[in-house]
Amino acid sequence: MTALDLLDSLSAFMDFIELLKDDVTIGRRTFLRVITSVLAFVGAAKDILFSARAGAQSVATGLPLPDELIEATMKRLFGNRTLQPGAGKIKLDLPLIAEDGGNVAVTIESDLPVGGATHLNHIYIISDKNRRPMLAKFTFTPESGKAFVSTSVRLATSTDVRAIAEMSDGALYAVSKNVRVTISGCDVPPQS
Amino acid sequence: MAEVGRVSIRLPSSIKQGDVVRVRTLVIHPMEIVQRDKQGKIISKNYHFIHSLAVAFNGKEIMRAETTQAISQNPSFTFPLKVDKPGKLTVTFSDTTGKSYEGSAEIKFV
Repeated sequence: MTALDLLDSLSAFMDFIELLKDDVTIGRRTFLRVITSVLAFVGAAKDILFSARAGAQSVATGLPLPDELIEATMKRLFGNRTLQPGAGKIKLDLPLIAEDGGNVAVTIESDLPVGGATHLNHIYIISDKNRRPMLAKFTFTPESGKAFVSTSVRLATSTDVRAIAEMSDGALYAVSKNVRVTISGCDVPPQS
Repeated sequence: MAEVGRVSIRLPSSIKQGDVVRVRTLVIHPMEIVQRDKQGKIISKNYHFIHSLAVAFNGKEIMRAETTQAISQNPSFTFPLKVDKPGKLTVTFSDTTGKSYEGSAEIKFV
């Protein structure tokens, strides 16, 4: 069940309300129809609420999230908003060749303001070929003074890595860089 | 690893009022990655990794991060901090076992 199903059942219900306005007597058939549409609506709403909760729960308990393609991730995070080229606004530093995919240093620096009317809210690190492309999301407040972050990530294979800045007005700036990965960072068991 | 959860914070040696400094923090943590069986199916269990990081200075939030298993073992993060007055910097990591690890540092002007 998705949001679309929810909309479907809702509109079926609305159709019925329209129908009610036309004739006052409710036949057995129409009565059954309203019952079904109400039930479908409640079911869809419950499913959506439940799946949202399940998602949140899986992050907190460490259950693995399902694999996702890069297109699905971009759609989930940014919807249909267009990405503007961020060259000159965001600087993404990555090694050209990463010998160990399990530990690749990433540095993102931006001159976009973190305070004021339109400011930078989030920076996402996204890897095109990881099974779960969203690697990390950083949120800045005006107290940080500047948008800058540096960390080390795991890359599955040679891939494009994107840094995407999301502004408070919804604008998105993206830069990407290709990295060659010699040894995958995702297939080896972690050393303890 | 007995040391799991040790947080260290490194500050620049001299901080002047009004500077935007870069603070580096590191936490000792295994950051378990998804394991698969021979058929390539994900082994379903609760993996032990840090899912969020929060940085605050004098109680005000500086930066927040959502992290995944795609962050390396013993993760380190560098973040900016605008220093207007001396105070206490706290970094809190939360992991999927419900534990949270906190580190703090005093910021003074020299």
